[in-house]
Amino acid sequence: MPEEEVFLQGNEAVVEGALRAGCRFYAGYPICPSTGILETMVMRLPEVGGTVIQMEDEISSIAAVIGAAWGGAKAMTATSGPGFSLMQENLGYAVITETPCVIVDAQRSGPSTGQPTLPSHGDIMQARWGTHGSHSIIALAPSNVQECYDLTIEAFNLSEKYRTPVVLLSDGELAHMRERIVLKDLPIVNREEFPKGPVTFPLGEELGGVSPFPTFGRGHRTHVTGLTHTIVGYPSESIEVQTKLLTRLIGKISDNRKDICKYEVHNPKAEHLIVAYGIPARSAMELVTERADIGLFQPLTIWPFPSKAFRRAAEGKKSVLVVEMNEGHIFREVERHACRAGVEEIELCSKLGGGIPAPEEMLDCISAMEGE
Amino acid sequence: MKIINKDYCKGCQICVEVCPKKVYSEGTEISDMGYLVPLVTNYDKCIDHNQIKKGKKPICELCILSCPDQAIIDDSYGD
Amino acid sequence: MENFQIYREDRWPHMFCPGCGIGTVMSCFQRAFLNKGLDLDRTAFVSGIGCSSRLAGYVYADSLHTTHGRALAFATGLKLAQKDLEVVVFTGDGDLGSIGGNHFIQACRRNMDLFVVCVNNNNYGMTGGQVSSTTWHDYLTTTTPKGNPEYPFDLSRVAATSGANYVARYTTAHPKQLVRVIEEGLGKKGLRFIEAWAACPTYYGRYNKMASPVEHTRWLKENSIHIEQMKVDGKTAEDDIDLQVTGKVTIGVLRDADRMSYLEAIQR
Repeated sequence: MPEEEVFLQGNEAVVEGALRAGCRFYAGYPICPSTGILETMVMRLPEVGGTVIQMEDEISSIAAVIGAAWGGAKAMTATSGPGFSLMQENLGYAVITETPCVIVDAQRSGPSTGQPTLPSHGDIMQARWGTHGSHSIIALAPSNVQECYDLTIEAFNLSEKYRTPVVLLSDGELAHMRERIVLKDLPIVNREEFPKGPVTFPLGEELGGVSPFPTFGRGHRTHVTGLTHTIVGYPSESIEVQTKLLTRLIGKISDNRKDICKYEVHNPKAEHLIVAYGIPARSAMELVTERADIGLFQPLTIWPFPSKAFRRAAEGKKSVLVVEMNEGHIFREVERHACRAGVEEIELCSKLGGGIPAPEEMLDCISAMEGE
Repeated sequence: MKIINKDYCKGCQICVEVCPKKVYSEGTEISDMGYLVPLVTNYDKCIDHNQIKKGKKPICELCILSCPDQAIIDDSYGD
Repeated sequence: MENFQIYREDRWPHMFCPGCGIGTVMSCFQRAFLNKGLDLDRTAFVSGIGCSSRLAGYVYADSLHTTHGRALAFATGLKLAQKDLEVVVFTGDGDLGSIGGNHFIQACRRNMDLFVVCVNNNNYGMTGGQVSSTTWHDYLTTTTPKGNPEYPFDLSRVAATSGANYVARYTTAHPKQLVRVIEEGLGKKGLRFIEAWAACPTYYGRYNKMASPVEHTRWLKENSIHIEQMKVDGKTAEDDIDLQVTGKVTIGVLRDADRMSYLEAIQR
C-alpha cells in the first residue's frame, strides 16, 4: 500500500492503523476521551467492508469483539478509564481462550469518573493485573500520534501472532492531539487458520505454545470455554491440566519478550537516565536533545516490561529517574531492575491531576537527586 | 424395542410418568452409576411401536424427547 | 432416530442432575434442528454461565462458552463478523434475566438475528439453588429461606415488548410443543426467543415440595396455561405478566412478528 502523509488526531491515527492492520470489526461505547475512535470507525470501517456496532456498554463491546474474532474478523474496541474497568472480566476471557483482539484504553484521570477529558496513566497496572487470575498480557504505550498509528498495527500483529488480547495504552492528550504523521506501509501479520476440518489433534502445547486459529463456521467444530480446558478444549477440574494451561499461556508471552518488547534508547552514554513512556516521554525528548548528560529509556512495550534491555541501558548510570502520570506504576518494576544493574539513585517524578510533566520538572528532580 | 442405556440413565422416572400407555415401570435394579433404571414392560402398547408395525412414522416419542439423559432409543426405527 | 446426531457422545453421561430439564430441552432442540435440516458446520452455539450454558459444550459444533450474562453480546459480534452463520444462544434465567438483563433487552430491541433458547428453572442451580429473577413469589430458595419477597420477571413478555420477532414459551412437560416452536423459530429472522421452563428437582424442587423429577414435571404441567385458553378465560396479556394473577405461566407462541431484523436494516 502507498505511504501517505496526513494530519491526524491520535484517535484517528489509531483507526488508520487498525484499518491498515486489517481490522474489520469494531464494537464500542461512547466514553471520553476515546469516543473519537468510535465515531471515526463508524465513518471509515464500512468503506473497507467492515462492521461497526455501538453496544449497550463496555462489557458487551469487548464481548462482541471477542465473538467477532471467533467469527474470523480482526476486531477491536476502544474505551477509557471506567469502561476499561468494566472490560476486565472479558479481557481475562480473551486471555484464557487465546482470542486475538485489540483493546485501546485512552486513559483519563481516575479513580471512578475522575477527569473525563484530561490525560493520566493510571491504568498501567490495571492493564497488567486488572483481570483476575494468573496471566500474562501485552500492553503498548505510544507517546505521539505517529506511534498511535504504528503501535496499533503492532498491537494487531502481536495479537495475531500470539493469539492474545493486546492493550494499547493511549491517553486523553494523545487522543485529541493533532500531528502530521506518515501512514507507513508496515508489515502485517495475518491469522494462521487451523487446518481444515474438525479439530482432531491437540490445540496448543504440541504446536509450540500457540496453535493456529479454528475460526467458527469452517467445520472445525471446536469448543471454546473460559473454564480451564484440556488440549481438546473440554472443561477440566484437574490441577495438572490447569498448571499446564497457565504455564503455557504465561510462557507464550513472557518467554518471547525478546520478540515482543519494543523500546527506544536516546543518549545511551549519558550519566543520568530518564525512564518515561507515553506523553511524558515526549517532554523528556526535549531534555535529551538539549543535554548530552541525560539519556532516555522509553518502553513502547509496557507489558511485558523490557527488563533485559532496560538493565543494559541502566548499567553504569549515576541515577535513574522514572517519570509517570500516576503514583508510580512502572516505578517499582524499574527500581528492581535498576538495583540489579547496580544503580544507586532511583527516584520517581510523579505527576497526578491530569497535567503533563514538563522538562523543567524532570530537571528539578535530577538536580535534587544530585544534591542529596 | 425401546432400550434404556444404563450408562446414561439417571433414574429420574420421567419416562414412566409421561408415557400415555404405561410402557415403562419403575425398575428394580441399581445401575453401575447408582440409579434405579426403569424397565420396558409394556412395549406391545407403545404407540410408536404400533405405528412402525403399520409402516407409519412415529407420532408420540414423548419418552425419547422427555428423557433428560438421551438414554432411550428404539431400535425398530428405520433410519 | 439416533440420540447423538448433534451432540458429543464422548462427553456422556452429561453433568446435569437426575431429572434436570436441561436434558429434555437438549432432546427437543436436537429434534427441531434435524427436522429443520440445518448444517452443524454452519451453526455456532454461544452460551454464558450456569447449568444451561453448559449445553453449548455438548453440541458437536463450534461453540463459545463465555462469561456470565454476556452470551448475547458475544453472539452479536460473532453474527456480525459472519453474517450467514446461524448463531444459537443457550442461556438460563440467571444468566439472561439477572446479570445479563440489559444485553437481553438490547438484543431484542435491535432484533439481532440470533436464536435464543433460555432454559428457565426459576433459580440458580449451578451455585446451589439461590433466588433468581424468575423465582416465584413466596417460593423458597437458599437465599429466601422465608419465601421470596420479590416478584418474578416474565422473560418472554420482556422479549416480546422489547422487540423480539418471535417469542414462544413452553415447559419441559410439553416436549412436542417445544420441538414445534424451536423448529418454527429457527426458520425466522431477527431475534427469536424460546423460553423453556425446566425442572430443577435438585434445588428449586427440593425446597418447594416437588423434590422428585416426576413431581416437578407435574408442577410444570399444572402451573402452565396456554395463551389460547387465557383468551377463552377472558384474561389479557397484562394479566399474565403478574404470574400471581392466574397463578400460572402462559405458554404458547406469545409473539410472531415480521419486524425488520438488524441485519436487514444494516444491509439495506
